Amino acid sequence: MNRAMYAAASGMAAQQTQLEIVADNLANADVAGFKSAAATFADVRAGSIGLGTTGVGKHAVFAQGKLVRSGGAFDVAIDGQGFFAVQRGGAHAYTRNGEFAREADGTLRNSAGWALSGVRIPADAIAVRVERDGRVVVDAAGAKNQVIARLRLASFASPDALRPLGATLFAATDASGRARMFVPGGRDGPALAFGMLERSNVSVIEAMMQILGAQRAYEANAKGVQAADEMLRIANNLHRG
Amino acid sequence: MDGLDWTASAMRAARAQLDIATHNLANASTDGYRKSAAAVALTERGLTVASHATHEQGAVRSTGRAFDLALLGDGVFHAGDVATRSGAFTRDRDGWIVDDRGRRLHGEHGALRVSERAKIDADGMVHDGGRVVDRIPLPPGTHLLAGALETSTVNPIGETLAILTAQRAFETAQKTLLAIDATRDKTANDVVRVR
Repeated sequence: MNRAMYAAASGMAAQQTQLEIVADNLANADVAGFKSAAATFADVRAGSIGLGTTGVGKHAVFAQGKLVRSGGAFDVAIDGQGFFAVQRGGAHAYTRNGEFAREADGTLRNSAGWALSGVRIPADAIAVRVERDGRVVVDAAGAKNQVIARLRLASFASPDALRPLGATLFAATDASGRARMFVPGGRDGPALAFGMLERSNVSVIEAMMQILGAQRAYEANAKGVQAADEMLRIANNLHRG
Repeated sequence: MDGLDWTASAMRAARAQLDIATHNLANASTDGYRKSAAAVALTERGLTVASHATHEQGAVRSTGRAFDLALLGDGVFHAGDVATRSGAFTRDRDGWIVDDRGRRLHGEHGALRVSERAKIDADGMVHDGGRVVDRIPLPPGTHLLAGALETSTVNPIGETLAILTAQRAFETAQKTLLAIDATRDKTANDVVRVR
């Protein structure tokens, strides 16, 4: 009966993990560039004896989110694979959140202060736009259509192994491989969409369904623990003192 | 086998059924898991319970990850030295297709190593760079769906029911055992009173 109890308890723990991940997805459903996470579980067996379940990993799902037109002056979205390379201080990170704002020093930064690498907007620029191939084009008072930089995107050998840093930022790891920078806008390749943002790829309806399922499965597993406990009690009553 | 042995075997059987049901229930969210079924048999040693695998197809949910593979039909994936129906694979930095524990997925010609653009079609053919580089062996009639996972076939309601049934069966057997014990108590202590 202890085996049953521990199996049921492992199921409760798994549903708890599932619930935490789905709740986090749901909380970030409105964050531009957010990628939902998913957990993987595996059954634990010793020969033919089942011993419950265990979590074997959590990973981000890098499926494309919908691109929507946005109001921001420096919003840019990636249509296809790849990440924006951003930096803060000496640290490098990668993100799909293209919600940037122009700072006084000419950098384009997101709300957490991470600056888009390789771009500095001249002080006299009146209008800035980003072409689908990453060219940053500036209209200044004297000269229109000056190309001042070219945005490059990062790709990884194994994006699944990136380490999440907060909601939309990722850091490279040994397992993911180093960032390889590439120029967007090639044929069939990823391209940039200026004035657009990528919505999170969380499906709210699916997340709600997952929450309901996890909750019920948690309760059912709790019943398993209770039943095992009850049977132990009954077994103890075999001996009438 | 007397009455006590029979009821004891019934209690053991109920416990085994509980073990199977809780293991199933614990894996309600394990992708690729197929529930175990309890087969109760009456033998000369009393009730015995064996668990055996079921072959019901699980529902398929799309995940948006290119190397997640769902088996539609029988068959298994060979990842490292284990056979599994769990199809949550990913491509590591060196191009190997690995599961969450780092075990490599095998095709007919050994571990699969592919580029990022590789595609796996319904027949298990691995297309990479415009040609077929390997094939994931599948039994006849089975297909693969890339970008999706087979969900667990465990039905929490059914397992809860199995748990309750096992619990009641255990209780009934215990009551019977106590009744037999009481009868023997009577026989031993009351029927013949030696003064």
